[in-house]
Amino acid sequence: MVKDKATVVVVGGGATGVGILRDLSMRGIDALLIEKLDMVNGASSRYHGLLHSGARYAVKDQEAAKECIKENTILRRIGKSCVEATTGMFVQVEGDDPDFVDPWLKGCAESGISTRELSKEEALRLEPNLSRKLKVAYEVPDGAIDGFRMSWQNLQSAARYGGRYKTYTELIKVNIENATVKSITVRDNVTKEEYDIECEILVNAAGPWAGKVAELAGLECNVSPSKGTLIAFNQRITNHVVNRLRKPSNGDIFVPHGSITILGTSSITIPDPEDTSTSWEEVEELMKTGVGVFEHLRDYRILRVFAGSRPLYVPKGAEGGRNASRGFVTIDHEKEDGLKGMMTICGGKFTTYRLMAEKFCDVLAPKLHNTAKCRTAEEDLVPEVSEAEKKAARQYFPSYGVNLAATRLGVEKFGDVVKTLKEQPETREVLCECENVTMAEIQRIAAEPTSHCVADVRRRTRLGMGTCQGNYCAIRSAAVANKLFKNKFEGCSDSLSDMKNFLQARWKGITPVMAGKTLREAEMTRGMYELLFNVNGGRRG
Amino acid sequence: MSKSDVVIIGNGVAGLMAALVSADEGKKVTLLSYGAGTFPLNSGVIDILGYDEQGKAVNSPITGIDQVPDSHPYKKIGMAAIEDAIKYFKKTVADEGFAYTGSLKEQQWLITGIGTLKPTCLLPESLQGSRCFDASEIVIVGVKGLKDFYVDMVKENLAKELGADKKYTTITVDTYITGRDLTTRDVAKWVESDKGYGEFLAQIKGQAGAGKAVIVPQILGTKGDYVVYKKLSKDLGCTVVETTGMPPSVNGIRLRDVLLSALKKKGIRVVENAKAEKAIVKGDKVTAIEAGGEVRTQTYEADKFILATGGFYSGGITMRDFGEYKEMVFGLPVEGDCVEERWVNKQLFSDKKQAFSMAGVRVDDSLRAVDESGNVVLKNVYVVGRNLSGYDFCFEHSGNGVALTSAYKAAKA
Ligand SMILES: Cc1cc2nc3c(=O)[nH]c(=O)nc-3n(C[C@H](O)[C@H](O)[C@H](O)COP(=O)(O)OP(=O)(O)OC[C@H]3O[C@@H](n4cnc5c(N)ncnc54)[C@H](O)[C@@H]3O)c2cc1C
Ligand SMILES: Cc1cc2nc3c(=O)[nH]c(=O)nc-3n(C[C@H](O)[C@H](O)[C@H](O)COP(=O)(O)OP(=O)(O)OC[C@H]3O[C@@H](n4cnc5c(N)ncnc54)[C@H](O)[C@@H]3O)c2cc1C
Repeated sequence: MVKDKATVVVVGGGATGVGILRDLSMRGIDALLIEKLDMVNGASSRYHGLLHSGARYAVKDQEAAKECIKENTILRRIGKSCVEATTGMFVQVEGDDPDFVDPWLKGCAESGISTRELSKEEALRLEPNLSRKLKVAYEVPDGAIDGFRMSWQNLQSAARYGGRYKTYTELIKVNIENATVKSITVRDNVTKEEYDIECEILVNAAGPWAGKVAELAGLECNVSPSKGTLIAFNQRITNHVVNRLRKPSNGDIFVPHGSITILGTSSITIPDPEDTSTSWEEVEELMKTGVGVFEHLRDYRILRVFAGSRPLYVPKGAEGGRNASRGFVTIDHEKEDGLKGMMTICGGKFTTYRLMAEKFCDVLAPKLHNTAKCRTAEEDLVPEVSEAEKKAARQYFPSYGVNLAATRLGVEKFGDVVKTLKEQPETREVLCECENVTMAEIQRIAAEPTSHCVADVRRRTRLGMGTCQGNYCAIRSAAVANKLFKNKFEGCSDSLSDMKNFLQARWKGITPVMAGKTLREAEMTRGMYELLFNVNGGRRG
Repeated sequence: MSKSDVVIIGNGVAGLMAALVSADEGKKVTLLSYGAGTFPLNSGVIDILGYDEQGKAVNSPITGIDQVPDSHPYKKIGMAAIEDAIKYFKKTVADEGFAYTGSLKEQQWLITGIGTLKPTCLLPESLQGSRCFDASEIVIVGVKGLKDFYVDMVKENLAKELGADKKYTTITVDTYITGRDLTTRDVAKWVESDKGYGEFLAQIKGQAGAGKAVIVPQILGTKGDYVVYKKLSKDLGCTVVETTGMPPSVNGIRLRDVLLSALKKKGIRVVENAKAEKAIVKGDKVTAIEAGGEVRTQTYEADKFILATGGFYSGGITMRDFGEYKEMVFGLPVEGDCVEERWVNKQLFSDKKQAFSMAGVRVDDSLRAVDESGNVVLKNVYVVGRNLSGYDFCFEHSGNGVALTSAYKAAKA
């Protein structure tokens, strides 16, 4: 049954998809994005969050390096509240190849990436945790970028231009007549309902799943998902992004995000992008490399370990894995395969998502006789909450959560939350102490039609992402939020099951590091939920 | 410092119990205390065995214990010591005016802070949940500003456990304390004060009455004396039931204070802030412990030592990296199945025991640590409580039970 219609349907709610939705909407093209689970389910959150300066690619891929530095500058401007302008450091420690420095400097210069040499003393003063075996250090304009927030802000921006999106809506079939895409069949993964959406052009922006989506249209698209593992530490070990100055390899980069630091990554070719498992061996490999740069690394508490897969596009006969190109491709299936009304975009990086969308839409728009120019670099993603509004909000906000909430929520929702805090003082209760999230904010987000379980609320608020990893806020958020969801996701039908699922998702990230201080945390979690709350139920037997 | 007969290291349930029993044996006891133990977390109810190997509810702990595997601490402690330990504990707390109900024969049920039921063996009367099974109406009382007790959630789960034919009502009382979030301890203090009690009673009285049961968080006073509980039951004319919930646990602290009071009466020397750091060993015996005090390290000599340092949670055992176990005071052998496929279950709330929770010191039937061939490592050192290997206190609900009974056995040895 046909239930919806759009000129363009974009499949995939990662950085690439949301970038395209925004671009098309700004050009005045009617577009709808569908995402099979919650937004930013794939690589765009299961990643390192480095806003590349391009320096990492300066030797091997200057094309990519140039794109990075250009986009880096643009994203800092249009997505201020998503970027932490940390600056980055490239370092060598004893044993690293000194001959790599000159070509790297030359590559940076040619790509337009500024570098500044730091004396050992200065580098150690800026980053006191760095290894005493430090040899050389350079500063580059790297930064950190919040994938969830950036993606959601793209959606908000698109929505202002009429762009639409649906979460938990999975493409399951492409309906083709006369070698032309007529419509698609989707499944609502919350209600399980299946229905059709008519479209003129179907955009496959499914990242590492792009190969599977192409298969649904009977096409072959050689995407080789390449899994990378990342470790999140419970400290801001460094204020700069720290890169190892050598030929890119595993465990080279530390990226600070708020109060945590992420170390990564690796590159293993896997058959199924759903595979986000991690092993002791992968963790140990990263740690072993990591201690070279931060020698006390093993003393920091690990919060969690996670993995994601890169959507590497491998042209026939080429190499996969770390040696595959980090560039991207636009495939017009009409030209390539004789199927009208379908295009695929694949590969690339988060940092260059906007540019990818621009180039892709430059090919797509003329097909619809649209000649509008790309304007995504000119306009901020979302309007910022003004200082005056923040100041006024301070009297209702418990502790010091105003700034965090303002950047998380954006103007409109922030206004709603402040109003609730003012009118209903009981909603000032801080449910997540690690990330300073109030009951009012959780209620506001839970009431949105895209929220179906506590995990959805987590991704929009950062609830449970901090030090306690949900130990304390799981019960609170489940009790407060679950009853507000209009449709509930599978297995989250009541507050108890939702709470268990939420804790289970956190558990997945800590099992690979069940040693050291994590053991203590785990005994605490189990004691609280299995003993004090007996979540597995009472008189079972 | 004069020599003791027994030095006990650790001040959790196991350490305090070991000290009391040792003193009753006529021994001169020194207890080295450090940190808070799990009292403020563990709700102060004594689980003996809530669930069997398959995860089925155990109706009679004594029968359940019979069926645990040979590697389980209960098999080493033995039924006789378990029964005596329970008797001893019940008498000790009753003498302090904080009698516990329950026995090894019949499992007790309490109501948790989310409205599920939890099996336990011994518990204060105020927490005994089965008293509300026959009530016609359940009145769930929340407190404004108190986190972690959500009346709707309690109602939803309790109705599932007790049946929808009862009536369930919820109310939320105001403490009139403003400007901050509250813990159960804050609210318990309020209820304990004359003014607070009056305000509390006034807000719930209209809802209570004969045939009903009133469910509250752990807020009926901070002390283990039943004063508030008895008064409230009388004033409301109905059953009042406390629940277990998120730390800080008022009842855990009640139990700690009650046990410490008993310790004081027996003249047991408790050294505060004395973290045992090193053992002095002669041959196969320990002669003394060095413990860091606030100012300097002290040496504590004794003939016998009981190690009650609480395993992974309290830092008695650490594992910096996979398989690198360390018992922190004596360096005793720790056993555990630290193999990637088995160490942690994929599911947090699993239908199997978690291997990491079963890791601990390997002991023989005398509760002394043994090496791989079964030889006692240190002749005068006994290991108790969470330090022991071979049981998953969360899966089977047995934490304070193993702590109490192992401490009793070690103290008697
Ligand atoms: C470990 C790792 C570290 C990285 N670090 C960085 C970094 O530091 N900086 C950087 O710039 N880049 C980094 N990247 C690369 C970057 O993350 C990706 O290139 C980028 O996020 C890809 O976005 P995407 O939208 O193409 O794919 P995704 O984010 O994976 O989005 C694809 C989406 O499609 C959805 N989908 C799949 N099938 C269907 C269907 N049938 N119907 C509906 N929806 C569907 C999925 O659920 C998913 O949400 C890293 C990648 C990895 C794996
Ligand atoms: C959240 C939670 C809820 C629980 N709920 C229940 C429940 O409802 N019912 C139940 O029966 N059990 C429960 N338990 C389990 C129970 O708390 C423990 O199994 C039991 O109390 C362990 O007692 P213990 O004395 O061995 O250790 P602990 O209580 O951990 O005490 C050990 C003490 O030794 C001290 N110590 C450590 N090293 C040294 C040193 N070197 N020198 C001196 N002192 C040292 C520690 O600081 C600590 O004070 C719960 C546990 C948790 C974590």
